[in-house]
Amino acid sequence: MPKLTIDGKEIEVEAGTNLIEAARRLGIEVPHYCYHPGLSIAGQCRLCMVDIEKAPRPTIACNTQATDGMVVHTQTDRVKETRRSMMEFHLINHPLDCPVCDQAGECWLQIYYMKHGLYDPRMTDEKVHKPKAVPLGSHVMLDAERCILCSRCVRFCDEITGTGELGIFNRGDHSEIGLFPGQDLENNYSGNVVDICPVGALTDRDFRFQVRVWYLDSTKSVCPGCARGCNIDVHVNRKRPHHAGGRRVARLKPRFNAAVNAWWICDVGRYGFDAVDDVTRVALPQRRADGQLADIDWSEALAAVADALRRLTPDEIAILASAQQSNEDLFAIKRLCEQRGIRQVAFRSPAAPATADDDFLLRADRNPNTRGAELIGLDGDAAGVLSAARAGRIKLLWVFEHDLLGAGWPADTAQALERVETLVWSGANHNATTARAHHVLPLAAWVERDGTFTNFLGRVQRFRATVEPLGEALAGWDVVGRVLTAQGVPATGTRAEHWFRELTKSVVAFAGLTYQAIGDGGAMVSGAAATTAPLPPGRRAGAKATA
Amino acid sequence: MAERVLMRNFERPNCHTLAVYREHGGYAAWDKARQIEPAALVEEVKHSNLRGLGGAGFPTGAKWSFIPKSHTGPVYLVVNADEGEPGTFKDRYLLEKDPHALIEGMLIAARAIRAALGFVYVRGEYVQPWRRFSAAVQEAYEAGLLGAGFDIVVHRGAGAYICGEETGLISSLEGKKGWPKVKPPFPAIKGAFAQPTIVNNVETLACVPPIISRGAAWFAGLGTKTQGGTRMYSVSGRVKKPAVYETSVSITLRQLIELAGGVSHSGRLKAVVPGGGSAPILTADEIDVVMDVDGLKAAGSMIGSAGVIVLDESASIPEALMVLARFYAHESCGQCTPCRESTGWIYKMVHRLVDGHGRKDDLDTIIDVAKRGAGTTICAFYDGAVGPYISYIQKFRSEFEALCRS
Amino acid sequence: MTFSPDQLAEVRRLQRLYPDRRGALLPVLHMAQETFGHISLEAEAYVAGLFELSAAHVHEVVTFYTLFFQQPKGRHVVAVCRNLSCHLAGAPEILAHVKARLGIDPGETTEDGRITFQSVECLCACEAAPMAQVDDRYEVNLTPEKVDRILEALR
Repeated sequence: MPKLTIDGKEIEVEAGTNLIEAARRLGIEVPHYCYHPGLSIAGQCRLCMVDIEKAPRPTIACNTQATDGMVVHTQTDRVKETRRSMMEFHLINHPLDCPVCDQAGECWLQIYYMKHGLYDPRMTDEKVHKPKAVPLGSHVMLDAERCILCSRCVRFCDEITGTGELGIFNRGDHSEIGLFPGQDLENNYSGNVVDICPVGALTDRDFRFQVRVWYLDSTKSVCPGCARGCNIDVHVNRKRPHHAGGRRVARLKPRFNAAVNAWWICDVGRYGFDAVDDVTRVALPQRRADGQLADIDWSEALAAVADALRRLTPDEIAILASAQQSNEDLFAIKRLCEQRGIRQVAFRSPAAPATADDDFLLRADRNPNTRGAELIGLDGDAAGVLSAARAGRIKLLWVFEHDLLGAGWPADTAQALERVETLVWSGANHNATTARAHHVLPLAAWVERDGTFTNFLGRVQRFRATVEPLGEALAGWDVVGRVLTAQGVPATGTRAEHWFRELTKSVVAFAGLTYQAIGDGGAMVSGAAATTAPLPPGRRAGAKATA
Repeated sequence: MAERVLMRNFERPNCHTLAVYREHGGYAAWDKARQIEPAALVEEVKHSNLRGLGGAGFPTGAKWSFIPKSHTGPVYLVVNADEGEPGTFKDRYLLEKDPHALIEGMLIAARAIRAALGFVYVRGEYVQPWRRFSAAVQEAYEAGLLGAGFDIVVHRGAGAYICGEETGLISSLEGKKGWPKVKPPFPAIKGAFAQPTIVNNVETLACVPPIISRGAAWFAGLGTKTQGGTRMYSVSGRVKKPAVYETSVSITLRQLIELAGGVSHSGRLKAVVPGGGSAPILTADEIDVVMDVDGLKAAGSMIGSAGVIVLDESASIPEALMVLARFYAHESCGQCTPCRESTGWIYKMVHRLVDGHGRKDDLDTIIDVAKRGAGTTICAFYDGAVGPYISYIQKFRSEFEALCRS
Repeated sequence: MTFSPDQLAEVRRLQRLYPDRRGALLPVLHMAQETFGHISLEAEAYVAGLFELSAAHVHEVVTFYTLFFQQPKGRHVVAVCRNLSCHLAGAPEILAHVKARLGIDPGETTEDGRITFQSVECLCACEAAPMAQVDDRYEVNLTPEKVDRILEALR
């Protein structure tokens, strides 16, 4: 392993490590645009120059591998002057769009100019003009004038998705990023090019003009869109509620995890958070009276449900949990089943999902916690529950999240529901089923509570609360916990972590895990092998689009 | 100084045909080379002091020796016939008048570097030379010279000066835009189609058969201490007899201009571009320089492709710079930031100057920007632009200032 | 818009000459231009299919090189060199003369589709400046009179 010195500090790195990465390990930032650890080396921006002893001129760091005994200087006057020169070159034709550009506040031209530029501009000639505000498909907006031609987006579409939609056309300062005329950027990972664009050339159409980034707060979480559990950061707008149409969640960004999703997230997950701030959110507990659902308070709601549970025999009660719920939620349900002897519990919808895996991250299973539900032991027979209901044997059916009148459920489920005396529905968003429920209990959305999901490979990952629950919504484990308390069972705790602790003592697969051990990268259930993120389609043999 | 080595066949009728080439000793060098070990061929070319004649002036034998000895896969020989340096036209003559000399040079070089496949990249505009050369290749195949261990693929370019840069050429050969490649790795290690590749200029390879036939010492003796042989100087601009002239590389610029009939138009010399458009300009006081690689380097310029453009007193230096600045802006491939952005900007400034709307500040800006970009780019194209940007303004500043408003 | 079976055989032959068949892209684009007159977006997509490349990457190549015409060109192309030696020998006057004779600017085509006029960079015939490339050949040592004769002969 080569040992080298950077700015007087020694470090040992794996063979093949480039100088940007080696410096990063020492906490030294080497400014750069075109370099990205998940993509091939381009060497185009020329910003990452460093001084290497024995080299006559500054050398680019991205394309230089650490060798034993190498001595690197990143703060010499010559390097600083070179960075200032490169900033000037980058800004020669760049439009002064900051006041109207979404990238402001997280723009690497702004950031590096303030750190490494700070020169007086002297370009007084007409700048090159290129197309502005060009939609590239449904998610991405291109401003070709702002583009610094780092080629990250082109390399992404070649090397990651393997679809090759983007190219750099023409030559010289008329070079332009674009699509083949007439084509669209419609692969399932299009939003990633916005993340990797260092400037405001590629911006998110969903986020366009919504809210300034400096008003956003960021929380680490996990995408609940499918069984992969890509790691994300949730960006919320708490400071300017009158912006972004009142949406609290402004956008989702992928968070690097070498074991799950590397740097990427699919568009289904990235743009799949609308439900959180949708008008269909259930805010208050509701009870059916005179054919209508009326708002009530939690004490009345919980008392009614606990009472109904007490009156009935275990065989008259069934629960349909959901793989949308967290391990903590599901474990609370398991506790309830054990405490009352309820054996009719399931979580899978009987019909196969109409969705498929894509060839990279997105799983056919659009639930984040199927594996958790299996391990916790809720994998009963949903079809059996429905036929028991149809036969009139189920007096109380407690449904979590599902829309039993939607896709994935048999057509005669409506009749089954007719014969259930008390239909309790708990979830975050109203659906066709809630219209038939006798009790509606609002659950907090995934951004409104803490918890863990277990992905399809057995990785337990934390998701975190970042905004207050809407209205009176509570976490699923909290609702079930309060029902248990109302039945005389000692309270488990007031935090998700308390429930997780109980889960680890009870379910062997989770033994020994703690929130701390799970950290930001997740931890495997016992028996599951450690994972790596799948190879992107563009990197596999025979991928067609590589430039 | 009068010995014609490269141009020896040019006057003969049908000199481009195999029959005529053979008649006058053609392919005898190849017959001799086939008995010589590849490593010995490399050594012979090293001792000849042959230096690349396309622009960079790199010692050819040394370049050939960079192919890794341990490599067991294919090695490629690529011929740079993408002549495009302003003021240069010698390769066009070789392709049209002595294509078999190039083929023979390729055969020998291929043996030396153990290449079984050679590509000849001919600029797209050179249609007649391409047809001539392709016909010669066809003849060579029919005669069994090619296809018996060495194949040649003739590949036409499509109009881009940057494809004359060796890795830009390689990218174009690979069916992409002519974007030069980030180095390292260098072509001898990883070049065309990811294999070790040697890229040589047409004229450089045309020197190889005479070197093998008549010996490295003979070739070295024709030139100077650090560069062997003769070369073909393309002389144009304000001279009475613009043409290609073959002389020893020990000739001085003054002698070369005399050979070309002396200065035309006003008859008074103002300046000379000694090595193609990218070479820093020389004033009328600087023409006693020896026209070999090291002589021009010592004079603060370069021999490059040996394209000599003569400017007389009546020629406008600012206009000349504008013409070249326009050329660099048009030909910049756009891949890396300093070149892409500043070639366009500098052209705008020079154009504005020539139009009478320039400021003295602009002159300082051009020089400063050029200095900041020099040495920072992926390839030497920008350094070629910097040559004129800086030298024309520095050496003829008063002529520029006279055009400025302020 | 497709190649004939013979042409397709030629495409395959060219592709086999190169260690990576993508090397045949420039020769095949030349073929497409000769066959179809210019390289339209449709032709680009067609050629992309022959190489299993994305159309965007073929478009990159076509827009990069100056000899590929993306719009229909005239029956003849007159490309006058504007670089240094030709400039010193009077290229601006030749360019102005062609512009006056044809009534179009460089980059344009005459209305009758006869001639596309271009001003181009060094064609490397500086010893015979000023000069132009007319279709496949070089016309050198140009004078206004010679230009008139050349243009006259272009039908």
